[in-house]
Amino acid sequence: MPFFALIKKEVYRFSSIWVQTVLGPLSTALLYQLIFGSQFSVINTGLENISYSMFLIPGLVMMQILLNSFGNSSSSLIQSKYTGNIIFVLMAPVTAFSMYSAYLVASVIRGLLVGAAVLLGIVWFGSFHFEHVWAIIFYAVMGAAITGGLGMIIGIWSEKFDQLAGFQSFIMVPLIYLSGIFYNIQNLGQFWRKLAMLDPFLYIVDGFRYGFIGHANFDIVTGVIFVAIFALVINFIGIILLKRGINIKH
Amino acid sequence: MNALEINKVSKIYKNNFKALHDVDFRIMQGDFVGLLGVNGAGKTTLISSIAGINRFDGQIKVMGHDVITDVVKAKFNLGVVPQEIAFDPFLTVYQTLWFQSGLYGVTNNKSWLEEILAGMHLEDKAYANTRSLSGGMKRRLMVAQALVHKPPVIILDEPTAGVDVEIRKNLWDFISKLHKDGHTILLTTHYLEEVEKLCNQIIMIDKGKIIAKSSKSDLIAKSSGLPTILEIETYEGRFPDSLRHLLVSSDNDRYLLNLQSNDEILAILNELNNAGIKIENMNINKPKLEDIFLKYLGR
Repeated sequence: MPFFALIKKEVYRFSSIWVQTVLGPLSTALLYQLIFGSQFSVINTGLENISYSMFLIPGLVMMQILLNSFGNSSSSLIQSKYTGNIIFVLMAPVTAFSMYSAYLVASVIRGLLVGAAVLLGIVWFGSFHFEHVWAIIFYAVMGAAITGGLGMIIGIWSEKFDQLAGFQSFIMVPLIYLSGIFYNIQNLGQFWRKLAMLDPFLYIVDGFRYGFIGHANFDIVTGVIFVAIFALVINFIGIILLKRGINIKH
Repeated sequence: MNALEINKVSKIYKNNFKALHDVDFRIMQGDFVGLLGVNGAGKTTLISSIAGINRFDGQIKVMGHDVITDVVKAKFNLGVVPQEIAFDPFLTVYQTLWFQSGLYGVTNNKSWLEEILAGMHLEDKAYANTRSLSGGMKRRLMVAQALVHKPPVIILDEPTAGVDVEIRKNLWDFISKLHKDGHTILLTTHYLEEVEKLCNQIIMIDKGKIIAKSSKSDLIAKSSGLPTILEIETYEGRFPDSLRHLLVSSDNDRYLLNLQSNDEILAILNELNNAGIKIENMNINKPKLEDIFLKYLGR
């Protein structure tokens, strides 16, 4: 089926450059763990029996899932547009829905693979548990689907590499870094905490961390519903854009 | 059955440039059609519309399937070689064809892929990365990509640009074989001798409008206003005054005469014989497709 062929092609694309797509994020996560996890281990997480290292590790894993899933769909699309080889997919009997779904699934696969690699790489720096495995899997898949979908939207819309880079540098990265990866937002002042609560990635990181440490800052049921709706809305918008051929068809 | 139906297709780009004006024609199954037009005439816009890359007004059907409402079936029946060179830099030549086959839902076609690679003279590059290919090789790879699913309708948008003479001949031999096997082919090229040799139907497009559509023989027959030129080379360099009214030009011992009909040839030869002029060489130059094309363009 064309859908599976396109997934295979996309997975082959990122796995053929595994030093960049897997080792790079792993190295970054290790550096964060070494600097923050080891040197700032005295930081009080505000949570009973949860060391800073135990708090940080799920955040670092989710950060790489979100960034890599976004990077896969966005860079693949814009590179294909730039080199012109997207034409071979557009001319093939692949519906917009199949094309979108295949790119999205490949992005989720990359996000999860990198997340697993990062987890395996930094697991040795702190003790932690798998308190709620369902939450780890649910938030990992939904987080990857949300940023994979955002990557699709930006990849479809962007006509130049700097448009993609601008979105990544000024919107994606700040939202991810400020989503409570490095700190517990309950420790922030009231104003900053309310501001942080506008960050949608906060609920993804919070739910994912709940899977590991068994503690969430927000109601977990509300979080699951919000994240699922967020994933649906983002990807619905992405499918519409691709179906209309915005900045792809002339 | 119509392999291709173009029903009143118009295309206006974002900058309000109207690239196609009510283009309307049919191509029968099994035809080998040359689509001729100068740069910017609308050929690639039309092909992109057929391929589903352009939005357009009107209706296009491939093997009876509408390219908008029945897109999957229409695309499965179509193989297009785009004009601009494009390739996936992550893949080898063979992987490119293998993944492309997958996009058409075709599996277990190794022997066909090998046949295409041989036809395109790329068999020794099968496991080379596409980045290492020359421009001509990349273009041949694009032709191979369009053929992975053996489409009944093949569109080639300047497939031989940048391809050397020997490989070009081999490529046409392969395409001619596909045509003999029943594939319908629409070709655009600036090498009009290729069209003249290969195609049985000609469509001419200018400024987004179809200006001629006919069989090649009808088109040539209709070109009665265009002269046939008799080229004569004589030994002594002499030329009878009685034939000077037919002279178009002369260069040393070579004379070009304008013929209204082939019946005049015998009279000319008699005249030369009576004047005692011996002929070293003689050619009859019939109007070429290029002359006919320029006549239709009015240039």
